[in-house]
Amino acid sequence: MTALIELTGIVKTLKGQKQPRTILDGVEMRVDPGESVAIVGRSGSGKSTLLSVLGIFDRPDAGTYLLHGQDISRIPERKAAKLRSAEFGFVFQRFFLLKHLTAAQNVAMALVNGQGWLPRRERKRRVMAALDQVGIAQLAKSKPTKLSGGEQQRVAIARALVREPKVLLADEPTGALDLETGTLVIEALLSATERGCGLVLVTHDRDHAARMGRTLDLHDGVLTERVPA
Amino acid sequence: MRRLSGRGRSALIIGVQGIRARKLRTLLSMVSLFLGVLAVVVVQAGASIAEKAMFADIELQQGVEGSKIIYMGAEPKTTAIVNDVIQGRDDAVAMIGMQAIIGEAGVRPVNEGGAPIGENWGGGPGPEAGGDPSGQAVEVRLSALTGDVRAFRPFRPRDGRWLDWSTTPSLAPKLVLNEAAAKAFQQYHVPAQMRLNGGQQTVTPQFVGVVDDASSTPTAYARLDEVNRWLAPAAGPQNGPSGDLQVLLTASTPATQVLQKRLKAAGTEAYVETVRSRAEMAKELRLIRLVFLAMAGLVLLIGVAGILNVGLASVGERVEEFALRRAVGTPRLLLAGIVLTETLLTGLFTAAAAIGASAGALRLVSMFLGDREPFLADVQFPWDAGVAGIIAGLIAGILGGAVPALRAAGIPIATVMRA
Ligand SMILES: Nc1ncnc2c1ncn2[C@@H]1O[C@H](COP(=O)(O)OP(=O)(O)OP(=O)(O)O)[C@@H](O)[C@H]1O
Ligand SMILES: [Mg+2]
Repeated sequence: MTALIELTGIVKTLKGQKQPRTILDGVEMRVDPGESVAIVGRSGSGKSTLLSVLGIFDRPDAGTYLLHGQDISRIPERKAAKLRSAEFGFVFQRFFLLKHLTAAQNVAMALVNGQGWLPRRERKRRVMAALDQVGIAQLAKSKPTKLSGGEQQRVAIARALVREPKVLLADEPTGALDLETGTLVIEALLSATERGCGLVLVTHDRDHAARMGRTLDLHDGVLTERVPA
Repeated sequence: MRRLSGRGRSALIIGVQGIRARKLRTLLSMVSLFLGVLAVVVVQAGASIAEKAMFADIELQQGVEGSKIIYMGAEPKTTAIVNDVIQGRDDAVAMIGMQAIIGEAGVRPVNEGGAPIGENWGGGPGPEAGGDPSGQAVEVRLSALTGDVRAFRPFRPRDGRWLDWSTTPSLAPKLVLNEAAAKAFQQYHVPAQMRLNGGQQTVTPQFVGVVDDASSTPTAYARLDEVNRWLAPAAGPQNGPSGDLQVLLTASTPATQVLQKRLKAAGTEAYVETVRSRAEMAKELRLIRLVFLAMAGLVLLIGVAGILNVGLASVGERVEEFALRRAVGTPRLLLAGIVLTETLLTGLFTAAAAIGASAGALRLVSMFLGDREPFLADVQFPWDAGVAGIIAGLIAGILGGAVPALRAAGIPIATVMRA
């Protein structure tokens, strides 16, 4: 089976104020469809940097990145935007909902992005399906300021799911939430893997990491498999 | 094409959402831009209205653009040549101008010298002035025509009919008055008796119509053949009409050359003048308009600085929004498009406000000053002023939005992970 994602020898050097620092130094990683992977590591180890390579926010300085077996290590920005829209869903520690829009409009933001045009009716159907999937369809018309943290993060997850991505990338999505709400959010993310979506979750929480299929540890710029104790 | 329209619609949806979320900012941008756009609209509207008012009368006064005019004295010799050349042509008309007094015999006309009624050109008919006593008579300029002059000067009919050259000349010359003369005869009821060029011969004219010839000098138009009988009935051609003679010719008629040649042969130098008044006036007006538009443009630039300022602040505030939009796949070009859409819409709203304000003001001006200035009476808001306003708004939107748009497009996506 072709891997959903296959990284080999990924190197990423960030040019800081003083000297360039190599954050990722030969990362190897494979994610299969429907698989969930946790990435752990201490703060500053480069987890977010890795996610930004995975989500094609940034290109690696060396190594290859295969998506569905195709090399996308050096694709131009225009194609990267298209792939982000069609293949990826993103969830961040902060929810990044736009205050002036309702929950439904915030979800629709991923559909009104210049990558193909959907008629209003179809947009609405997909938005409601995504909100339903994370269990907050009844809050569609609410503004973010009226929602709890957990509800806001679920709106953000619905926004990530609305285009039915092949890969979900989540960077500490429970970091700003209490344990119970965090668990709800993890469940919403995991439910997406049931229809074959790959999930890469960056987390500091051992319990949440434990619910993923595998856990990878980022240390000194290299990923190593953590064997369950 | 489909993708383009999808992008355009996305930009429009997001842009409108952005404007609705920041109504106060949009309003402030509009305020800063309003004066500039208003200045452009007002300059353009003023120039168009002035141009229209000036052009409306210029053909009546000077002749149709491009036609030719030959001026000369109406000596019997030249008059005979002119008559001979233009006889039977419909592309040339001769006009002989002379003074005529209509009214009681032996009195000084109320407007001596043919001045417009109500204005006084000469010393004024006072009791101390010598000569005839002042009485019920009006002096007019009589224009005797060989044919229908309206091909060169499209007089507007006001009342009655125009002269008709197809009938046999009448002994009582038919007169068509201009509005200034009609006004004079309305004010002073005078006997229908006319004396020409200071002569003593009395003619009984018939008034057949009134036209608007855009002249304030009381003028009467008549058939030359009808007037001629009273000027030189007995004494032969050397006693023909005296006064000034002008021949109006179409741009292409061969009669111009023939006439020039024959006049030259007879020892009279005839200068041909081509009517270019419209083109010359347009050139001057264009210059004036440009000067004023340049000043309006400066005011507009201040407004652009306002939009730019607000636009930069707003992009600074929305760094996260734009980074997020890029994360969900929005192309950078579309991000720039969103910012530009917002400033363009702001520019358009401002243009609409400025156009509305000036159209309203024009209406008020026309309502209150319409009876004093006839050209303001039913003046329409010129469409080119509206177009100029919209263009000004769009240009301001592009100028003010370009830099913020570039900034928005350059925001790195990783912002969403470091926030
Ligand atoms: N734009 C940048 N330029 C230079 N260095 C950077 C830049 N962004 C991040 N870094 C550095 O790269 C390293 C890795 O950062 P990254 O955000 O990937 O860590 P992380 O594992 O996600 O940390 P955390 O768990 O705290 O989120 C950090 O030491 C950070 O200081
Ligand atoms: Mg991080």
